[in-house]
Amino acid sequence: MDLVFALAINGLIWGLIIALIALGLSIIFGLLDIINLAHGDFFMVGTVLAWFIVQSTDNFWLAFILVPIIGLLLGAVIQKLVIVPIKGAAALSIVATFGLSIILQETVRATFGPAPKRLLPPVEGTIPLFGIDYELYRLVAAVISIICLAAFFLFLHKAKLGTWMRAVRHDPETALALGIPVQRIYTITFAIGFGMAALGGVVAAPITTVDFRAGVDILPFCFIAVIIGGLGNLQGTAAAAVLLAFMEGVITAFADPVVARIASLLFMSAVLLVRPQGIFAGATS
Amino acid sequence: MVEPISSHSILRIEDLHAHYGKIHVLQGVNLEIPAGGAVALLGRNGVGKSTTLRSALHLMPRSRGRIYFNGEDITALKPERLAGLGIGYVPQGRGIFPLLSVMDNLTLGLRSKPDPNILDEVFTRFPRLKERLSQKGGTLSGGEQQMLAIGRCLMMSPRLLILDEPTEGIMPILVADIRRTIQSINQSGVSVLLVEQNVKTALKICHQTYIMEKGSIAFEGASADLRKQPETIHRYLGLSLDAA
Repeated sequence: MDLVFALAINGLIWGLIIALIALGLSIIFGLLDIINLAHGDFFMVGTVLAWFIVQSTDNFWLAFILVPIIGLLLGAVIQKLVIVPIKGAAALSIVATFGLSIILQETVRATFGPAPKRLLPPVEGTIPLFGIDYELYRLVAAVISIICLAAFFLFLHKAKLGTWMRAVRHDPETALALGIPVQRIYTITFAIGFGMAALGGVVAAPITTVDFRAGVDILPFCFIAVIIGGLGNLQGTAAAAVLLAFMEGVITAFADPVVARIASLLFMSAVLLVRPQGIFAGATS
Repeated sequence: MVEPISSHSILRIEDLHAHYGKIHVLQGVNLEIPAGGAVALLGRNGVGKSTTLRSALHLMPRSRGRIYFNGEDITALKPERLAGLGIGYVPQGRGIFPLLSVMDNLTLGLRSKPDPNILDEVFTRFPRLKERLSQKGGTLSGGEQQMLAIGRCLMMSPRLLILDEPTEGIMPILVADIRRTIQSINQSGVSVLLVEQNVKTALKICHQTYIMEKGSIAFEGASADLRKQPETIHRYLGLSLDAA
């Protein structure tokens, strides 16, 4: 029972981190119509950058600050170099971002190396939680993720830039006529998408392995969360990520992780059949 | 021969051409709005009125043509710069952001906090908006959304207000309200370019009228003169003014 509980909590916390990453995927899709097959690699780049910074400075919290900033900058550069030339063509975006994914993975393999590495948690120790000794950093990661998710939604709804992003998503032409720099908003959105995936990467790095292939597993999970939450529905995406990871966590207690992933895919298929608009439709931002 | 640019014109469109794919939609539109004036752009459906506006506002690609605003050549300017110059645009269908609040819709184009005096002016003109500030734009009625779309432009102190069919889909009882609003904005010194299907309303508001046919200007003259030419109205617009 303790194992079930621990895996359920693990799943919940993993879901909060995935929610950060999936939201990045969702805003990029919602605003730019880009199906970003490199999004998992943005997460992976976040974990690897965190590893490099911790190796050279021995300061995880510095990595926590720097990695999302580097992610934002990389995102802006990639948007200009890779996304602008394809002019939002969804079909081309699959090819372009698949190419980008390979470039990112191979760059990391060439520099970081092919062997997975571990990053020690910055907060050590355990605390008793409902009868089990639970790793403290995982709870810290959960709190950080919740704060970041709340900050993201606050930004989207209260900051001018966030309001502009929501306006551009709905009607870019009218937004442009009102003086909103739509092209710059596209760049910023892509940058935020990368930044959030990288943030997810740095938070997750101490509880996962740092590996150039880490994004390959994350990407389908994010897509499943975006589809179940409802395309373009950000609150739905976040909720679906948490729900899915929790569900996979519980199933993993009884069966192989592959079975858990199959369950997620079946769940997604059921949602697509019954509620193709997503189970949380109606709460779009 | 191209006439010299009038120092009194607020907007001048010269030889504007645009294509939708291979279709040559605008075939050399010339149009001028005198500063402080109100100009109507009329024509049957599909002759290119909205395309003229969108093309002049850099919202769709042009094949040829030059645009002058207040004597300055703005042809190569980025589209997002036009609002800042003082060009307000109320698009067809009103362009309200349904999930943003009325207040967010109103202040969307501003880069700093709204000027309380301008906000007061807008609320004096449209008191209904003040009562619905926290409501989502999509929950407003068609008439209220039109007020919001116009108010949103007024927040940016425009010198020219471009309206694309502002009375479309509005309850007939409110059409006169919208007309009086546009007239009063024009009387306050803001120039107006109005695309309208409702010919009677357009002729009441605007001193000057252009009629488009097949992508270019087929008639240009004072609205008062046009009113006396029912055969012109019938030929280009397919209706009689009494029935309009």
